[in-house]
Amino acid sequence: MEIIVLVKEVLDPDLPPSKFSVDTKNNRVIPPEGIPPVISPYDAVAIEAALRIKEEAGGRITVVSLGNPSAEAVVRKALAMGADAGIVVSDPSFDLEDSYLAAHILTQTIRKIGKYDLILCGRQAVDWDRGVTGPIMAEYLAVPVATLARAIKVSDRSVRVERVLADGHETLEMDLPAIITVSNEFGQARIPSAWGVIKAVKEEIPVWSAKDIGAEDAQNKDNPGEGRLRRLYIPSYERKCEFLTGERPEELAAALVKKIYSRETASP
Amino acid sequence: MKVEEKLALNKYAPATQAHITVNKGLCADCDLRPCVYGCPADCFILKEDHVSFSYEGCLECGSCRIICPKGALQWAYPQGGFGICLQYG
Amino acid sequence: MTEKFDAIVVGGGPAGCASACVMAKSGLNVLLFERGQYAGAKNMWGGAFFGPQLKELFPNFREEAPVERFVTRHTFSFLTKKGSTTLDFKPAFSGPPSDNGFIVMRAKFDKWLAKKVEQAGAIVVTSMLVDDLLLDGGRVTGVRIGKEEFSSDAVILAEGVNGILAQKAGLCSGVSADNMKQGVKEVIALPKQTIEDRFNVNGSEGAAMEFVGSCTRGVPGGGFLYTNKESLSVGIVVELGALVKNRLKASDLLEEFKEYPDVARLIRGGKTVEYSAHLIPTGGLKMMPKLFSAGVLVAGDAAALVLGTGLILEGANFAMASGVAAAETVITAKKKNDFSETALRDYERLLREGFVLRDMHTFKETPRLLKNTRIYDLYPEVVFEVLENILENDGKPRTKAYKIAGKVIKTRVGFARLLSDLWAMRKMT
Repeated sequence: MEIIVLVKEVLDPDLPPSKFSVDTKNNRVIPPEGIPPVISPYDAVAIEAALRIKEEAGGRITVVSLGNPSAEAVVRKALAMGADAGIVVSDPSFDLEDSYLAAHILTQTIRKIGKYDLILCGRQAVDWDRGVTGPIMAEYLAVPVATLARAIKVSDRSVRVERVLADGHETLEMDLPAIITVSNEFGQARIPSAWGVIKAVKEEIPVWSAKDIGAEDAQNKDNPGEGRLRRLYIPSYERKCEFLTGERPEELAAALVKKIYSRETASP
Repeated sequence: MKVEEKLALNKYAPATQAHITVNKGLCADCDLRPCVYGCPADCFILKEDHVSFSYEGCLECGSCRIICPKGALQWAYPQGGFGICLQYG
Repeated sequence: MTEKFDAIVVGGGPAGCASACVMAKSGLNVLLFERGQYAGAKNMWGGAFFGPQLKELFPNFREEAPVERFVTRHTFSFLTKKGSTTLDFKPAFSGPPSDNGFIVMRAKFDKWLAKKVEQAGAIVVTSMLVDDLLLDGGRVTGVRIGKEEFSSDAVILAEGVNGILAQKAGLCSGVSADNMKQGVKEVIALPKQTIEDRFNVNGSEGAAMEFVGSCTRGVPGGGFLYTNKESLSVGIVVELGALVKNRLKASDLLEEFKEYPDVARLIRGGKTVEYSAHLIPTGGLKMMPKLFSAGVLVAGDAAALVLGTGLILEGANFAMASGVAAAETVITAKKKNDFSETALRDYERLLREGFVLRDMHTFKETPRLLKNTRIYDLYPEVVFEVLENILENDGKPRTKAYKIAGKVIKTRVGFARLLSDLWAMRKMT
């Protein structure tokens, strides 16, 4: 079983809001100095899923991260958890905020890797929470996709997936090769063992550029209409407390209803 | 500025397991309660008749381990990678 | 896996990184474990490193290390409720500031140190807490993390002030709160220009300020304020035993300290961005654990190698120097392939020949003398009152300064007590 896991480095979700700020001019988050990015937590669960599949069915796990050269650290973490090989895909020409583009670049990467049975990724990256890269890639690669997996069972040429639904779950069966996006319900990602880390320290992690994967034209590719980021800002919350006055409960209730529907308190 | 407001500025990797445990029986016997004063993160709060304890805001200094006169405290560092992550230090 | 290491270092602070660096450079197969997500994640201090140790290890540190500012101004203040008396030391420099005193923030600095360790060829593993030492007939043979075991010829414990493993190994019998100081600190962000204007420093120049007096309400200790590039480190250091005995909290003392006019003026408009705390072993020689035993050496704070002279607390330079001495000991032991207690005795000899144990001996009475609470409540007030009386013009005929001083001392302290305190203090600093 050849498994490819896609992982993304994101701003540490444990950061308190005070630790980062937004460059409103360029619509960018300014990451806090000195606090390293982490593997997107859902992607870590995807690695866990790959490891469990490998433990059961055997095979090889390749981890791919599209991003900055610093993504090497999250790939190394995946290797420490038990993945077999890692690749960073990075090129200054890539616009990393466009999901279609990211899916295109990753698809090119997969084509260069060649053989695969299963592609796993997290249900969504915790930075933008879009959750579309996996499905778009399925379209590009013309393979079936199942999202929000909470359990995965591979057999010879097919895979059975339990999908999380709002009110329960459903079970699908797809032919391989396929793409699965993994949800947190799958289980906890393992913590790398110390020996795993030591082994991973010595691994070579190649960095593939646009040229290496034939994605030089990536920027010119049509964007089929994904929303564009207009304005990025940290919302401000204001709290106000006011006591209404009145003799009788009926009076108070009426005043409260009035207040709720008044312009002052209605949300903009 | 209150201690809890200050702690909210820090980055923590929240551990799922407590790295400090308190033996409530031994703790209840203590009338000095130095932990309430010695903890810079207010992890030990004096409630009417007992000390209420939480580990989430711990700054990992180790003061409570030294000053607990009853041996009611089991103190270890949190699991590797968890707990306080200082940005400046 | 069965790979055996020449040395395992526990802790990625100044002691651990210095020792790992020296050993790796000499060709040893070195593994360093750090429990934080990155080296420095758990480490804090007041702010300044005094001494040439860093330059000896990394001659290019000035260009490479994340130094916030070089100390070009050092002030010592006596604080009282009525006002303050300050000694302001500013050598006139021509050329770049001396690199014997510089201000760094540990989360950045220790991360840089760990990078140097990796460059030297050692393996640094972060997010790993060493649970135990491996023992074989009283000899330390490695460490254990969860169910994983790692064996090595030598283990260097640079695990920091709490010395949990050193205690488990029986090198240290536990510590008393009277031998520990607790430091609490806020990092307060301010624009670079504001800092330079307020502290009268330019470019890479910086100020280190120490305060003694009413800010600790009679608890031995003091306050400090250091200038970083774009923030200030403001904190309080107090003896833990006396603190809880007096039912005071360091966090409250810090809030009060920030309200003293001397401090409030300097931090005005700043925004707190981090709050941290740490213990400092200040018991001196008397609290020092056994420094080595077969297969294991203890360095830095874990060995209580901190010098408190009364004027400043020095630890990081002692940590580095002890780390280097431990490393050199292991390198020699490796050549002879002898890691017995007798072979590791070299460590103590190196520390004695260098400044580490000599300074600890020179100042061995200081920790006890610094417990004299008159230093913190009475004397700052006396100094202030004497100067207040000398400088005050109330329209009446003046009195000579020494007479004023005599009168204040007689009423506030008593000559006998002052003499005995001075006699004791001659041993101190």
